[in-house]
Amino acid sequence: MRGGFTLKFVGKSIKRVDGVKKVTGSLKYVDDMKMPRMLYVAVKRSPHPHAKILSIDPSEALRLKGVKDVITGEFYTKRGGLYLEDKNFLAVGKARYRGEAVAAVAAESEDIAQAAVELIKVEYEVLPAVTNAVEAMAPNAPLVHPDLGDYKVAPVFFPEPGTNISNHYKLRKGDVDKGFAEADFVFENKFFVPHVQHVPIETHTAVAQMDADGYLTVWASCQSPYAVRQALSAAFDIPLNKLRVISPAVGGGFGSKAGTTLEGIIIPLAMRSNGRPVKLTYSREDEFENAYVRQGLHATIKTGVRKDGKIVAVQNEFIWDGGAYTEYGVNIVKAAGYASAGPYDIDNVCTDSYCVYTNHPVGGPYRGFGMSEIHFGIEQNLDIVAEKVGISPVEIRRINGLKPGGRTGTGEVVEVCGLMECLDNVIRDIELDKEEPASGPNKRRGKAIACGWKAPSMPNNAASSAVIKLNEDGTAHLLVSAQDIGQGSDTVMTQIAAEVLSISPEKITVRTGDTDHTPYEWQTVASRITYSAGRAVYEAAQDAKAQLFELAQIKLGVYKRDLEMRDGFIVSQIYPDRKVAISDLALGLTFEDGSGVHGPIIGRGSFIPPNIRNADKKTGLGEHPVAFWTYGAQGVDLEVDVETGHIKVLKVASCFDVGQVVNPQMLEGQLEGAILQGMGTALYEELMLKDGKILNKSFVDYKIPTSDDMPELVVSFVENPEETGPYGARGVAEPAMVPTAPAIANAVYKAVGIRLSTMPLTPEKVLAAMKEKARKM
Amino acid sequence: MSKLKVSFILNGEEIEHETLPNRTLLKMLREDFDMTGAKEGCGAGECGACTVIMNGQAVNACLVLAPEAEGSIIETIEGLSDGTHLDPLQQAFIDNAALQCGYCTPGMIMTAKALLEENPTPTYEEIKEGISGNLCRCTGYKKIVQAIQSVADQNRVGLGND
Amino acid sequence: MRPFEYFRPSSLKEASELLVRYGDGAHLLNGGTDLIVRMRDGLTLPSAVIDLKGIEQLSRIREDEESVYIGATVNLNQVGRDETIGKYFPYLVKAALSVGSKQVRNRATCIGNLCNASPLADTATPLMALDAVLEVFGPEGEREIPIQEFFVFVRKTSLKPGEIVKGVRVPKTAGQGVFTKLARRKEVDLSMVCMTLLKAQDGWRLSYGAVAPTPVRLPKTEALLNQGAASEEILECAISEVKPIDDVRASRAYRLDMVKVMLRRGLEQIEKGGAVS
Repeated sequence: MRGGFTLKFVGKSIKRVDGVKKVTGSLKYVDDMKMPRMLYVAVKRSPHPHAKILSIDPSEALRLKGVKDVITGEFYTKRGGLYLEDKNFLAVGKARYRGEAVAAVAAESEDIAQAAVELIKVEYEVLPAVTNAVEAMAPNAPLVHPDLGDYKVAPVFFPEPGTNISNHYKLRKGDVDKGFAEADFVFENKFFVPHVQHVPIETHTAVAQMDADGYLTVWASCQSPYAVRQALSAAFDIPLNKLRVISPAVGGGFGSKAGTTLEGIIIPLAMRSNGRPVKLTYSREDEFENAYVRQGLHATIKTGVRKDGKIVAVQNEFIWDGGAYTEYGVNIVKAAGYASAGPYDIDNVCTDSYCVYTNHPVGGPYRGFGMSEIHFGIEQNLDIVAEKVGISPVEIRRINGLKPGGRTGTGEVVEVCGLMECLDNVIRDIELDKEEPASGPNKRRGKAIACGWKAPSMPNNAASSAVIKLNEDGTAHLLVSAQDIGQGSDTVMTQIAAEVLSISPEKITVRTGDTDHTPYEWQTVASRITYSAGRAVYEAAQDAKAQLFELAQIKLGVYKRDLEMRDGFIVSQIYPDRKVAISDLALGLTFEDGSGVHGPIIGRGSFIPPNIRNADKKTGLGEHPVAFWTYGAQGVDLEVDVETGHIKVLKVASCFDVGQVVNPQMLEGQLEGAILQGMGTALYEELMLKDGKILNKSFVDYKIPTSDDMPELVVSFVENPEETGPYGARGVAEPAMVPTAPAIANAVYKAVGIRLSTMPLTPEKVLAAMKEKARKM
Repeated sequence: MSKLKVSFILNGEEIEHETLPNRTLLKMLREDFDMTGAKEGCGAGECGACTVIMNGQAVNACLVLAPEAEGSIIETIEGLSDGTHLDPLQQAFIDNAALQCGYCTPGMIMTAKALLEENPTPTYEEIKEGISGNLCRCTGYKKIVQAIQSVADQNRVGLGND
Repeated sequence: MRPFEYFRPSSLKEASELLVRYGDGAHLLNGGTDLIVRMRDGLTLPSAVIDLKGIEQLSRIREDEESVYIGATVNLNQVGRDETIGKYFPYLVKAALSVGSKQVRNRATCIGNLCNASPLADTATPLMALDAVLEVFGPEGEREIPIQEFFVFVRKTSLKPGEIVKGVRVPKTAGQGVFTKLARRKEVDLSMVCMTLLKAQDGWRLSYGAVAPTPVRLPKTEALLNQGAASEEILECAISEVKPIDDVRASRAYRLDMVKVMLRRGLEQIEKGGAVS
């Protein structure tokens, strides 16, 4: 797709098209919106992790001056969900996690709404709760969803009714029993990854308003307006042409604003408010407890390896703590399952990945979609196995790492793979082989690497589309519903269109996030936007270009095969003085006699990644189950204080094979941000859950990295083009975070000889492990 | 509870206003003056997204009661550019790609502004420490520090210290 | 936030009268970085908020022959920047600058930090080590409270109704001092354990925060230090004089370990001539 010519805009560090609005504070995010006669919503939440709702009495709340309405789950009992229809926006019949919404109030002010919530009386019958995923799989565990068998589910997921298992994914490649028998060594290691939260700096927020003619408009900080539209249409029986979802701006998503979260709570209130807009904004505490969280994982990895370091068999058991609703989580479990071999060429793989209901906060898509969690185990496991076999961590990855011609865990043949180049780059950038001294007598220093991979986890037919409208002055409007959540998609889409049309990016205005006006985009998730929406934009620009060439052929008398776009003109390649400006053709071609043909040029592009086919239901094997894989590696250089256990990360190197860099400066920013996010999970972040209650649902005790935690960062990229990507580009937003935590854990082992099989690596845990080791010696 | 009069200077403009006391400066700025650049990221003084400059000091507007604004000089992000020209810090953020989702950006820029007023030529370490009260989840901070550093470097040249 | 009356008295007398008039419903507002959060969370529901920042005399840092005096409304960054405080009590400067973020310190006050009586108040341990004295204004007149009698329990001081702390008088104390704060994250975090160790001319002073219901002095350990006892004995005595608990930030066991580590490192640092005053 690149064609070997020089690129003018793709590959350049074009400045963000939304930069000025953001640095001036003039961009209006949803909570910044003020509408006349707006009502404010507050939510009554269950104090119990598992309880039947016996009665809800809103009468006292309704009597409070300024309260307009109170609703409960009984108003709309239809279940919904992206992949498995197991959730309601307000609890119906029972509450399944502590914090679940059971009623909602609309009032004249936030203070009144909060006061009203206190006055709603709810009677519960407390039920036994399951707060451990492994225990929840036991035969007599209390059932979170006794009616699981009745739930509608997409055919690629396999719930087990009568249990808490909402998806059991199986991967069966080769014959692991044979593999283990042939192995010289067999090792088994366990890992536990606790829940974390995305912590977008902007909390979830939405406004809804229903017109007199039943037309509903929703403004939401969401990654996927079309997904929100679909979910709300289904839940509330509103036809799609009468439901408009607008996402004006998103202050960070990381997956938490994918799908739907709070949007459905306000819809019934909007439907009953006689045209008044209704707004709900989550507090930070709500964000920790009632937005999606990243599932916990109990992982067991069994490895059979030969003396020479070749891994011959891997058996994985992943038990995921999916929380109270797993409408989204079932796919994370599947994605982790088919990626469970890691970026390695292993002939025999057996994986069971279970999505388990618990009475915990709702698990959902989080940057990495299962990859960070499983790689914490996979990449440490590799280092453990390497040491036992007597080879280095780099060596075991060179032997087993995927290369072109190899086969993935699902049996797919690898055509493009820059993994080894990425590994080489990070080894170079942290000077892995150079032993460097620690900064003091109580510190020990260690360096280590880790690899990672990810594919976009999405339905095989996930689609993107784009429209380009040419203006009569030679500028253009680009309409997409890819959502810029910070990753820079507005700018990237603009660059791609500019490249095809050969007009400067300043001449293109990109508009997004309005289901009435911008065309369909499945979701802004899965690291798929540069690739998929980018392709749609590419196709739309090509379509506009084709129409321009049709008209230019007539106008110039030059065959269209000999035309090219150049700096706002359509130019003959043979007779360079024969050219016509885009502006002259934008509204059609006008002849000398004043008549015109064709009309306005509107370029359309639609894209579905080609040829992605379902894997086998029983074995999980498939020749092309995903659009592409993104490979990469990271290296970490850190110090441990041996008396307090504190870890200080000195330097992180990161390298990914992105196919084609679209915007180098923005890509660096992605990789740098991902490293810090990975560091956060490795060092500080954990939702501390006790009996279903989050003990640390605020920034006082849930810590994310600050600027002063930032280590030296060295990022680089490798470009092995993705054949079906625009200009060869593939996605990297999520993979960029995957190796960080295990690289840190591996470096801690190098520094002080202890392995922590759980995150975060807090000073207390590190110290305890060091003391334990000293005791044993 | 009745409204109180509160007089202050907001981005250079003299303001005579009335407010109920039981709300924060942040809410007053956002709701009464439509200065929505300062954001409520946590409401508890932990994230810095609400940072404004009050009497020359960077403060979390979510931790100031509206009546406490009486007699003070308040600068918000909206006051940094005149509608035509960007403040050098704002330009530096764009040039260095020091923003992604933009939500922490106004608070971050105001903290940086106050930092540079107090110390026009901070070191890399001083910048890292100086903005540690502003959380960012997108950028990893590196380009933010670089952006501020570039303005500090301009200041160094201006002061004749290159 | 629930409704309340807001007052900005211009004298201590006026402030104290308001406190008495509104009784339990009255709360003093100083930096606000603690009170406003509590009000937002519904933990404190005042009917009257009395802003002290209109009382000019409370905003000063003064010095005389024997002491340095920090007024009630002086914020933590001001404490951190002050040359006099930096000259005599560099470890107090370090403690003040370790609280919250820069933005928080531009509002939060040293006196407020003390009056909240959190067991982990960072400015408490240096002032405990210095035997600071709180000067109090009340309905029955003025009095002084030695800091060791000030903290009664978690979030409880020995102040009587209507009393307002005007400021703290810190005796100039020659010697070497060290303040250490151990937290999960480098910046903007509450202490897991904090400590001030001061080798004063008249003897050692040792104070810890976050290891008991209030910040504490360790008199037995101080005595051993003065006697020049063996290091092992000193460290064991230190952990016997504290009562840490398990909480979300750290466990009791870890805190006890850190008490020893921090003391040992503090002694080393003073040995090497650290933080002279």
